[in-house]
Amino acid sequence: MYKYIIRRILVFIPMLFALTVIVFGLAQAAPGDALTGQQLADPRVDPEVYEKQREALGLNDPIPVQYAKWISNVAQGDFGKSLVFNGRSVADLIEARFANTLYLGIFSLFITIVVAIPIGIYSARKPYSLLDYAATGFGFLGLAIPNFFFGLIAIYVLSINLGWFPAQGTLSGPGMAGFEAFFSRLHHMVLPGITLGLAGTATYMRYMRSEVLDVLGSDYIRTAKAKGMSDSNVLYKHTLRNALIPIITLMGFEIGVLLSGAVITEQVFQYPGLGTLFISSVTNRDFPVVMAITLILGILILIGNLLADIFYSIVDPRIRYD
Amino acid sequence: MIKRSKFSLAILMLVLVLGVFLAACGGDSDDNNDNNNNDDQTNDQTNDNNDDNSNDSTNDEGNDNDSASGEPQMGGKLVGAMDTAPAGVFNPIFYEEAYEANILDFTHEGLLSQDDTLQFGPGLAHDWDINEDNTEITLYLEEGVKWHDGEDFTADDVVFTYRSIASPGYIEAGGVRTEYVDKLVGYEDFVNGDTDEFEGVVAEDELTVTFKFAQPNVTILKDVAFPIIPEHVFADVPIGEMPEHPGTLDAGEVIGTGPFMFTEMLEREQYVLEKNPDYWQGEPYLDSITWRIVEGSVMLGLLENGEIDFIADPNGVAAQDYESVAGLDHIKIHEQADFGYQLMGFIHNHRTAEDAESGTINPDNWVPNEDMGDPLVRQAIAWTIDRQAIVDQLLLGHGSVINAPIAQQFWAYDESAATLYEKDLDKAAELLDEAGYVDADGDGYRDTPDGEEWVVNLNYPTGNELRERSAPILAQMIEEAGIQVDLRQPKEMTAYVEDLTNNTGDWDIYLLGWSLGSGDPDPSGLWRSQDAYNFGRWNNPDSDQLIADAITPPDAFEQSYREEVYSEWQGYFSEDLPALLLYAQNKIYGFNERLNGVNPMPYGFNNDPHLWWVSE
Repeated sequence: MYKYIIRRILVFIPMLFALTVIVFGLAQAAPGDALTGQQLADPRVDPEVYEKQREALGLNDPIPVQYAKWISNVAQGDFGKSLVFNGRSVADLIEARFANTLYLGIFSLFITIVVAIPIGIYSARKPYSLLDYAATGFGFLGLAIPNFFFGLIAIYVLSINLGWFPAQGTLSGPGMAGFEAFFSRLHHMVLPGITLGLAGTATYMRYMRSEVLDVLGSDYIRTAKAKGMSDSNVLYKHTLRNALIPIITLMGFEIGVLLSGAVITEQVFQYPGLGTLFISSVTNRDFPVVMAITLILGILILIGNLLADIFYSIVDPRIRYD
Repeated sequence: MIKRSKFSLAILMLVLVLGVFLAACGGDSDDNNDNNNNDDQTNDQTNDNNDDNSNDSTNDEGNDNDSASGEPQMGGKLVGAMDTAPAGVFNPIFYEEAYEANILDFTHEGLLSQDDTLQFGPGLAHDWDINEDNTEITLYLEEGVKWHDGEDFTADDVVFTYRSIASPGYIEAGGVRTEYVDKLVGYEDFVNGDTDEFEGVVAEDELTVTFKFAQPNVTILKDVAFPIIPEHVFADVPIGEMPEHPGTLDAGEVIGTGPFMFTEMLEREQYVLEKNPDYWQGEPYLDSITWRIVEGSVMLGLLENGEIDFIADPNGVAAQDYESVAGLDHIKIHEQADFGYQLMGFIHNHRTAEDAESGTINPDNWVPNEDMGDPLVRQAIAWTIDRQAIVDQLLLGHGSVINAPIAQQFWAYDESAATLYEKDLDKAAELLDEAGYVDADGDGYRDTPDGEEWVVNLNYPTGNELRERSAPILAQMIEEAGIQVDLRQPKEMTAYVEDLTNNTGDWDIYLLGWSLGSGDPDPSGLWRSQDAYNFGRWNNPDSDQLIADAITPPDAFEQSYREEVYSEWQGYFSEDLPALLLYAQNKIYGFNERLNGVNPMPYGFNNDPHLWWVSE
């Protein structure tokens, strides 16, 4: 097992390297650079000024040279400075947003699981019942409603009209700490969390339903039932564990997806996370930020998959790695 | 049993992970950034000069001062909203965005400020003398002005500010405001590091400062009006490190002389300005002003329910929301024209590939654009466009048709000198016939004088929704005159600009918008033949000469002379048509009626905030 994990981790290195080369190449191939957009904002500034800045930032160097500089800095733990946010280091930009994204991601995943798994199990036990149809319908509605639309409706109804939840942001004000900050954060997370979480519910629910149905029909369950085992025992001891495998796979991928941020949800709720930073960095050609985020996400997705593989063997002892 | 315990273990782990996550939530948050350059309209920096001291502005709908509530009262908090967070550079010499300006307008001040007629009046300097030939200006500073941290404001701060902008490494550190210093005596030597002495700005004594310009300077007042930064905060900071210094980035550390202090922020969400009780023009009425970053589609709801009090610069209320805001009893509206404009440009000439490669702009090498080379053709196209319809339909009337590339608020804007193009297909047809563009092959579209098929392409960028929607309308209007139009796929702004700069090889028509400064109407930088932003590669020596004349001393010291020259130039412009000006949008400010004493200037809402007060 440990050998396996170490081997997997070693494979990460060439994969990440390839990832950086490809993304760097693509980022450089996009027309224009970080200063092109800024430039037009104020025609009074002499274009020469931007030319000098390009030179100073090394944007005029050949691409391999730029890449070499970048990778050697990264190897020393320095992601460099943003080209767009004057004076801000990339690490500084990503740090707090990463935290926001992490909280929101976990919170929404929690909502997804809490809603989807029990409903999925119920649907499987009473398939084609009224509640099964209702739950499925509800789940697909969640999947079908565009995020921004659901978000806006939630804001208008629950926040602006009823005043139950704050409409925007992550905290109610600067300088909060301790419990106050914690509850404020949680309070602010409810609407975006639900918006994001409901979208994923249908997927999990359907997976859970079909897996449980599948397992319930298998021979060993019939055997267990024949032995006189109680229904709940059969369900929780035998069925669920086996039905969880695809859910774990799904969650392995989900970690990466959730942590890459949810652009639209972040935008609607003005919840500063990685998604909006990433998109704006791409449009602004802020390649140090783009590269750093890609690298972090690459690592997270690889780790997510590794964790999923490890969890397989925990959930299902028949799966072993040598 | 073993299985069971493993399962419990998993549950336990889940609980633990959640616990860690919950605990982590309790930590305080700092934060980050995002940026926008997607829309060239958003970034106007018209308010380099902060405060102002005259009053009353044009065409407003809400009555600004003295509302029914009577006497100003002390106290109260105000919440403003903007749709994008500032990048976070709260230093006048380094910031580049209108979003930071919304903070800096309250915290920093310049020596002079502009009034509602765009004339410069006193600011931190109460008086000034300009010498005979406009090469020197001596300003007398207000006495007793203190920085937010209690230090005295002196002439040395002024010297320090300009010296910083002029110093070697300023541009490399990310600064772009060299237009304020490059005319000063000794700038070249200083910026090249040949000398440590910068002679351009000299403190005569504590409260007297003299600016010396190498040449007589027509825009001398504009050039000395830059917001001042505190020497005592940045004195020991190398210029290259100034952008990352706490005095630039951190709330509570940003020090100015303005009526409000930037004390706290929740980055990208809230920015708190607290009153500066020792403000030299008198203690502000309000206790604090908080900027909240609010998504555009949610803003109106929050304005309606009172969570936010005003929506102002840089984007204001969208035109399509005007009616809903106007329908709110407790919201007042102030509408005024923006300084920017949108244009439909004609590509007169193409740059050669070699020139684009080497970055050369040399009109002698340009290759004329056969499709657009004839002024009659350009005029004909201009006569096909119904600009008023665009303003009425797209902007819902919240804008104006403009006829010259000078903001209409300026004394220099002279519509009477320009051709007032409107939709007149007969005229367009007449001009095209005259130019020899007739339908030779009977396919319903006009062909070139040589009988070749004639297709005019129209290019436009994404990022400004109204402009995007205007493109197909414009294409259709042009087609009505029998001109075949190829409406190209829109490009994302950065890619579009790259193409506009280097690669307009087969372009004919382009759409673009410019935001202009309120400081001076001088169109250099955009429309001279050698200007990088003269994307149409318009080459007209007469125009170049006029633009130069308008800022050449000594004649140009007389505003009336400049007015005359600019009138003539606007005539050339509309005749030769490097671009057809389409419209200038209006800015629509909405604010709660409890806010009193607001007095927006043509260039911005954030004027004299120490006089704002709220009635409860």
